[in-house]
Amino acid sequence: MLDIIVIALMVTGLFFFFGTTIGLHRFPDFYTRMHAAGKGDTLSSILLLSGLALYNLHHLSPDTVQVSLKIMFICVVIFITSPTATHAIMDAGYESKVKYWTRRKDSSAPQSSIEPGKGEDT
Amino acid sequence: MILDNTILWQFDVLLLPMVIICALAALTIKDLVGAAIVTGAYSFLMCLLWTEMLAVDVAFTEAAVGAGVSTILLLATALHIKRKAKD
Amino acid sequence: MKRLTLLLTLILGAYLIWSVEDLPEWGDPTSPASTYLSPHYIENIVEETSVPNLVTAILADYRGYDTMFETVVVFCAGLTVLTILRRTERKNKKVSTPRPQREGSDIILQNTARLLIPPMQLFALYVIAHGHHSPGGGFQGGVILGASFILLALSYDLKKTLKRFKESSMLFYSGLGVLIYAGIGVVCLLLGKNFLAYAAWSNFLGITELEAHSHGMLGVEIGVAITVMAIMFSLYADLASGGDLDEGL
Repeated sequence: MLDIIVIALMVTGLFFFFGTTIGLHRFPDFYTRMHAAGKGDTLSSILLLSGLALYNLHHLSPDTVQVSLKIMFICVVIFITSPTATHAIMDAGYESKVKYWTRRKDSSAPQSSIEPGKGEDT
Repeated sequence: MILDNTILWQFDVLLLPMVIICALAALTIKDLVGAAIVTGAYSFLMCLLWTEMLAVDVAFTEAAVGAGVSTILLLATALHIKRKAKD
Repeated sequence: MKRLTLLLTLILGAYLIWSVEDLPEWGDPTSPASTYLSPHYIENIVEETSVPNLVTAILADYRGYDTMFETVVVFCAGLTVLTILRRTERKNKKVSTPRPQREGSDIILQNTARLLIPPMQLFALYVIAHGHHSPGGGFQGGVILGASFILLALSYDLKKTLKRFKESSMLFYSGLGVLIYAGIGVVCLLLGKNFLAYAAWSNFLGITELEAHSHGMLGVEIGVAITVMAIMFSLYADLASGGDLDEGL
């Protein structure tokens, strides 16, 4: 039973990591890439670490419970820091006016557009 | 290899090429800020290598000093001088 | 010139890689280092110093003199950066490229920093004090302590941090750490033992000689941590503001 939960958590975590990688690779500009990296990274790290913490509880003893608690503490730290780091990088990009991708081609676009696929150098 | 069973050689195969790539990238990147960040990545990979060789004290120092503070110091310096290296 | 340097580096690198052949294999039990030196430490370290972490015991006790001058090197590096970069009156305009200045402050970043800094400092103190039993010690703990101040300076600004940790106290603490380290050694001399032979403290503190080794190491680690913390933050403050100490990154 425990194995099934662990496998489910790990596979979901790996799936979201895969999605993050594809997002980083395929999204057209800085902001959308950061969006993929920030969200997917946080969720998949937490899923993977929870899977490890549960797997560690196979031999239930005070030691293994302690190790699992430490892993869950890492989860909490990642949950706090990773979105903040994403926010800080995004904000820095916005402040220094990194161009964003848009489909509009006319000159009334808020900032000049970039062709999809070429992307802004990040 | 003597301690063949205690060491995960898969980690070596995975980490050593990445360390070499990071080191070469840090040398060749023209943008100094980018080079500082790649140096931080290199330090973190070295930290993983030390952990894999069971030298946890060294790994801890590498993580705190190499990947943490010296990256910030390099960034702080790179932002105050010209961003592009000449060669 | 560049070609010549490259050629020289390649030759030297090939020579070094060739000489790796002669090194003993990793973990070889018959290599000179692990035939008599390592077994001595591994077998006797708990009887001699009562510290189970070999690395800390070797660093702070067997090689205490070495570590003291490592601390002095950190101290001198900090002083050098201070001497070169620090300028009190502004003669010419700043040469740095203008960066986009934000108006207002970032509440998410600041609150996260406020949430994270106290656990960071607590963890740093744990690393310093628990270096006898687990990986860690003065250098790592000091760097983490310094990094907590750097985080404060990054998320708020340098001026606010410098109000908490003044430049004069930076200099004071960086000297104080070295003084604590050397002072512990000198007290050992005054009590009739060798320099940094912590066993001399046993009568003074009313403990056994074994415990005196452990306590002496703790005192030394605290000294290292204080110096490293002050120097790390002073390096950041000087490098990030270009010596003016008015604005950080």
